[in-house]
This record gives sequence, C-alpha cells and structure tokens, in this order.
Amino acid sequence: MSTPIKNGLRSGAISSIIVIFITIINFLQVISGMLGKLLGSDTTGMIPIINLIIILFIIGFFSGLSSAKEREPDTWRAALLSGLYTGLFAGVILFVFSLVIGAVAAKGIDLRSYLSFFAPQTIQQYMFNLEVIDLELAALVPGVVLTGAVYHLALQVAATVIGSIFVRGFVRGEWRKNLMISLSQSTMVTTGGSGLKQFLNNRYTKYGFFIILFVLLIVLPRVWGSYWNYIMGTVGIYVLLGLGLNIIVGLSGQLVLGYVAFFAIGAYSFALLTAPVPHNLLWNFWPAVGAAIFLAAVAGLLLGLPILNLRGDYLAIVTLGFGEIIRNLIRSDLLTPLTLGPRGVREIAQPTLFGNPFSSDIDFMYLIIVAVLILIYITYRIQNSRTGRAWLSIKDDETVARASGVNVYKYKLLALSLGAAFAGLGGAIFASRNLFTGPEDHILMVSINVLCLIIVGGMGSIPGVILGAFALKGIPEMLRDFEIYRMLAFGALLVVMMIVRPEGLWPTGRPKLEKYKGEDEPELQTLDNPSESEGA
Amino acid sequence: MNQNNKTSKKVRVSPVITRSIRIVVGIIVLAWMVWRFYNVIFVTAEYGADTWVRFAFSGLIIGGMYALIAVGYTLVYGILFMINFAHGEVMVIGAFGGYFVFELLNAITVTAADGTEMAFINAQPVLALFLAFLAGMSISAVSGFFLEKIAYRPLRTAPRLVPLISAIGASIFLQNALQLLFGPQRRDYINPEILTRGTGWTIQIAGKPVLLTYTGVFSLALSIILMVALALVVQKTKMGKAMRSVAQDKPTSALMGIGVDNIISQTFVLSGVLAGAAGVMWGIHNGLINYYTGFLPGIKAFTAAVLGGIGNIPGAMVGGMVLGIVESIGPAALAIDFQLKDVIAFSILVLVLIFRPQGILGEALSEEKL
Repeated sequence: MSTPIKNGLRSGAISSIIVIFITIINFLQVISGMLGKLLGSDTTGMIPIINLIIILFIIGFFSGLSSAKEREPDTWRAALLSGLYTGLFAGVILFVFSLVIGAVAAKGIDLRSYLSFFAPQTIQQYMFNLEVIDLELAALVPGVVLTGAVYHLALQVAATVIGSIFVRGFVRGEWRKNLMISLSQSTMVTTGGSGLKQFLNNRYTKYGFFIILFVLLIVLPRVWGSYWNYIMGTVGIYVLLGLGLNIIVGLSGQLVLGYVAFFAIGAYSFALLTAPVPHNLLWNFWPAVGAAIFLAAVAGLLLGLPILNLRGDYLAIVTLGFGEIIRNLIRSDLLTPLTLGPRGVREIAQPTLFGNPFSSDIDFMYLIIVAVLILIYITYRIQNSRTGRAWLSIKDDETVARASGVNVYKYKLLALSLGAAFAGLGGAIFASRNLFTGPEDHILMVSINVLCLIIVGGMGSIPGVILGAFALKGIPEMLRDFEIYRMLAFGALLVVMMIVRPEGLWPTGRPKLEKYKGEDEPELQTLDNPSESEGA
Repeated sequence: MNQNNKTSKKVRVSPVITRSIRIVVGIIVLAWMVWRFYNVIFVTAEYGADTWVRFAFSGLIIGGMYALIAVGYTLVYGILFMINFAHGEVMVIGAFGGYFVFELLNAITVTAADGTEMAFINAQPVLALFLAFLAGMSISAVSGFFLEKIAYRPLRTAPRLVPLISAIGASIFLQNALQLLFGPQRRDYINPEILTRGTGWTIQIAGKPVLLTYTGVFSLALSIILMVALALVVQKTKMGKAMRSVAQDKPTSALMGIGVDNIISQTFVLSGVLAGAAGVMWGIHNGLINYYTGFLPGIKAFTAAVLGGIGNIPGAMVGGMVLGIVESIGPAALAIDFQLKDVIAFSILVLVLIFRPQGILGEALSEEKL
C-alpha cells in the first residue's frame, strides 16, 4: 500500500472514531455550548448548525494535518492525496454511521437504555438538525438521512484537504520560510524584547509585582462575593494538597498514589477532636489543626518506614492500597464507634481568632491564602536548601545520590512526612470549611486529581502547582456543563501531557537548565518528538 | 577501609532500622493472625467444615479470574517494566462485549425443534457462550492493542514514572468513557438458562449441603483451561519464545531478528484476550457489571501478580488463586467483618511488598530493570 493511502486510513479512522465517540457521549452539545459562549449566541436549545460545522471542521482539519505531516515524497501531490484519502475514509465511516443512526432515529428507537447519553435529539443534532425524527412523511426519511450523510462526507473531505494544504504549504513549505523571514525582520526592528526581559528581571519590578499581588489577595476576597470565595477556596485547598504532593513526587521523585490517606487522616483527626459527636472533645480550632498536621506527619513517617525502600512503581501501588485501606477502615463497622462510619462527622469546629469567630467565607479565604503563602514559603526555602538538593539528586538517580553520601532513606522519609503534614493541614481546613467530613470525601479520585494538577503544572514547580490547581479545579468549577466530562478530559490530558510535554506547563528552572546543557540527550529528544518515534 | 568507616556507617544505619522494624512488625502481625485463627477454629468453633468448603470454593472461582487478569499484568511487567494500570478497564470492556452479545442473542427468538419459540441464547447456549467469549476476548484484545499503541509506545524510552502516569491517565479515560457510553448504573448480565446463577450441584460435607454453582464450576474450569493454553502458547510457540526473549533482553532479541515492537503489541493482545475472558466470566458469575467493576479486580490482580512474583507466569496463576482464597477465607478466619475483605487484600499487598517483594515463586525480570 502506498503511503498516502496508509496515512489516510490511519488519520481517517482516528478522526471518525473521535467524531462518533463525542457524538455518542453527547459531548458535541457541551463543546457547542462553550463555542456559543465564545461567539455570543444562544445555546439553550439545539446546537446551531454553524457550531457543529465548526467542530467537525476543526477535527477534520487536524486529521488532514496529521495525515500530511510526515512523509517521504515531499510533494504537493502526495500531501493533497493523503488529505483526500483521509477525508474520504473518515467521510465514508461517518456516512455509514449517519445512515445507521438515521435509520434508528427514524424507527423511533431510543438507544438510551444502552448508550446512556445518546438521545434521539443528539442524533438529530448530529444530522445537521435535519428532521429525521418527527417527519410525517416516512417515505422522505431515507432521503433526509442520505442528505445528512452526504453533508458529513463532503465536510470531512473539505476539511482534511484544507488541512493537508495547510500543513504542506505553511508548516513545511515556503510560506513558513517567508513568514519566518518577515517575523525575524520585525523582531530586528523592535529589539524591545530584551528590554522587556530586563524590565521583568529588575528587582524593583519584582517587588512591585509582589505588592500588587499582595494587595489583590487582600482585596479580592472582600470584593468578589461568596461564590468566587467558594471556588477559590477549593482551588486553594487543592493548592495546599498539591504543594504537599509536589514535595513527595515533584521534589523527591517518589510516586505516591494514596496521598488522600493523609488528607483523610488530617480531616478526621481534626473532626474527631472538635466535633461534639462521637467523642465530645470539643478542642479549639488551632490546637486541633496542629494535632491534625502532627498526626498526618506521623502517619507519613510510619507508612514510609517500611515501604520507602521499594522501587518506584511498587511504592505507587502500595500507597494506593494504603489509601484504600484507610477509607475502607473509616467506613467499616469495626471503626464506627470511633469514626461514625459512612455517616461521617458533623458539626466540626470553625476557626476563631482571639476569641472571636473567624468563620465567614471571607475569613476562610484569608485563612486559606495565609496557609498557602506559608506553605509556599516553606517549600521555597526547603527546595533551595541542602535538603532540596538531596531530594533532587534522589529524584534523578538514587544510586548516584547514595554514592555521593546522601542519606537517601532519611530524605525520602522527610519528604513523605512533610508532604503528609501539608495534606493534614489541607484536610483540617477542608473539614472545618465544610463542617462535615465523611468517607466519600476521601476517595482515590482526590489523589488522582492532586497528582494530575502537579503533573499538568509541572513537577517540582511551585507556580506550576498553582497554575495546575487553577486549570484542573478552578476552570471545571466554573464550567458547570463540563462537569460529567471532567474526568474523561483529565485522563486524556494526562496521557497527552506525558507524550507531548512531560515536564508540565510551568516547568522548574533548574532541572531544565542542567539537562539541556548536555550535548546529546537521546531520551529527551525522543520525548520531545513523540511523532518521530511513533512514525518509525 | 578505615577512611570509609564513617560514610559506610552512615549509609548502613537505615537498613538496620528498617530490617528490625520489619522483623518486629512481622512477628506481631503473624502472632495476631495465629491467635485469631486459633480462636476461630478451636475456641469459638463458629463455622463447620461445610462453611469452610464454601468459602474455599468461592475463593477458587474468584481466584481463577484474578489469575487470568494477573497473568496480563505479569506479561506486560515482564517486558516493559510498567504497571499497566488500565488493565482492569480492559477487562471491563470485555465484560461489556459479552454483555451486549448476550443481550442481542436474548432478543433474537428462534423456533426450536418441538415448535416452541425461545430465545437464541437458550436454544443454542453453547454457541451463545462461545460468541460472548469471542466478542469479549476480541474487543479486549483490540483495546489492549490500541492502548499500547497510543498511550505507551511513544513513551518507550522515557523515564519510568512517565509511562506509569500515562497508564493512570489511560485508566481514568477508559473508565469515564465507559461511564459516559453505557451509563453509571449496574447492568444485569443475562445468562443462558443452563448457567442460571444460584443453581448448581449440591454435595454433602459434614452432613450439610454445599452448593457448587454451575457458573462457578464453569468459570473455574474455563480459567484453568485458558491458563493451560497460555502456558502452552508461551512455552511451545514461536511467539511465546520471542516474548520470553524480549522479556529477557530487548536489544539482543532485536539483533536476533525479533521485531520487538510487534512482540510487545502481541503481548498486549494476549493479555487483553485473557482479561476479556475474565471479564465475561465476571459478568456470568457475579451478574452485575458497570464501568467501575474493573477497578478493584484490577488492583487485586496486580496484588496477585506481585504475590506470585512479578514477571513469573506460573507465579501469577498461583498468586491469583492464593489471593482469591485468602480474601474469601480471611475475614472468617480472622473473625473480622466481611466488609473488610478489600482491606485484607490490600494488606496482603502491603505485607508481601514489605516482607517478600520478590513474591512466592520469585520474580523473573531481566537485569536491566533492577
């Protein structure tokens, strides 16, 4: 088989599967809603046809792009051919799919008992809002379905051919060269780039930036209302957790998947010390927070003692098991007298400040901000200390670290228990803010979310943690429609992130400096260009 | 060695602490278990022999499924040194494949020889079972193939944390994709009438009846057959030979003319086939599946693989059986709640990794990884 056909088959199959998948899970509606917000159109009813066309066009465009991207005969003809084949193949698959679901819709069968999001309305939307359901003249249905199918075919072919033209002409061809030349000329003219850099690196600019940030942090919680305080509070708690896990995974390189166990220990010890039921201890907020941090740190230490010598992936699975053990124990009958089992603990204490209640949403926001700032300061100081360098060396190569006289075991333990202490603080604040904590607050997904956010942000990087928390916790909280698709997107994001940009959105400065200085780094090169190794 | 004394002492402190902690903890755990077990058997004598047999039987059935999944983990780990986190999801995909075949065959009615109308699934139960397993196994194999191709292959040379995270991502993605496709509700597996759940042969143990369910016997027999088949494939065929060779040394195998990438793909296909079979069995025997069904068996099967010694195929089989039996007898033997079954499984994982990380039969991994 010649390469254009092969590429076309591959890209076409991928793009058509993506289209069919997002149609079946009714994701089209959500994307269209977001697109509608962008374009400012009304999105409550059916998808406007233009949105559907834009979405399908973008998918087709990218599949055409990928099909024509990497190939030996670097000619216009080959690029166009592979784009055409991609479009034809994807179009034919979508054509057949349209016929099938059109027939299903026309017969009035509701597929939702098997495919739970695949409503007849979705089918109609997929068929460019053509009347395939409520048609009085049943004889016309095949024609309408056929029309929709032909639209799909035509759209795919058009999009992929445009994509392949784009990639041949712009990404590889002369257009890009021309553009690069014009770009370089324009930067030659405006050499303000380095001036800007100098400005940014200036010490006083930094101070000014920090002052602005500080003022914003003080002013914003008072201004933006309780809704935003709630969302940003959640983000802040995840920043706390992220900073803790960042020490364990990002700085010392130990993959811990049961991080939620420490969160749970912090939340539960805080809750049990302050709540009237079941123990009626009624501690004050501050000593209870201290106790929660302490207990979580001790738990980290005790867990770490036996298992930190395990190799990386075993450590991951043991800690995952530990998290599940803790959650199962909390909700079991065995510990119900101690923890109230699945019902959870209620009426947890709220913070006080010098005897006054300090528990409005604004106060909580301040509390979280202060906690985040303190933890950032601690992390920053440790990261740049002897301990931080020891962690870095352990992360890079444990054997070498040991050979250079680093007490690997001690530093791993320190990282784990410090990270656990951060989680304990996060858990205590979380429990106090919600006035409640139960076993379902501490499911495995919390660990995965936190892990996602530090990976997306960039492992070992403090700004990365904050960025990741905003990206993964803040944005989905704002996009409520997106809620059920969030974890799906997380999973895909993790895989794509690992393939395309394993160092994260905001990577740390130091490891990068050291790694890219070397003349040949085969590992990094293959990481940077996954497409090459895939094509090989 | 005088000048090295100081540093070597410093380095050596930690293993001494760990080892002593391990020994102390081990003795305490063991003593506690023996004491509880002794209590249950001799002091309270809560259960008769029939109950123990019942527990052991259900443990064997579930253990057979764990073993099938565990073999998939062990095959992949032996070759790529990574935990294929999405393996549990591959199993559920197989379970859904079987489910839809049964649904379809249940909807088709045929006229039997004596003129009565009956569903195809009951008219031709053997064929229906065959089709269900075929569908489940092949769809799992396909998903395993693409899983490797999309999520793991581009990361072949990356540091080890990177593919692991990618695997976690793939697992989350598949789980949520299944939830969005088929909904969060549990679905009832339709069995052919000859395999109705809750029916079976009754045998007498210590004067009391013990029910050996048809589904259980069927699952156990099928998992044993599949494991024998797998052993034959790995030991006798050219593909198995190539797999073993790749597991031992990738560069040398490549020099011997083995297509390493192909063999890795085939490994994923093979483990997908076994996981798919386990998934259909899971549905037939337990009756309910949803998108989340694969998570716990996945983790536990990994436990089983570690228990038996990772990279070691007979080890995975033994580990699966042992884990199944321990999990089902454990709560009774230690006189604790049955809802702590999962805690026992995870505790076994933690304990095995602490005290004998190389597993029961020893791990079989090449030098390059250690």
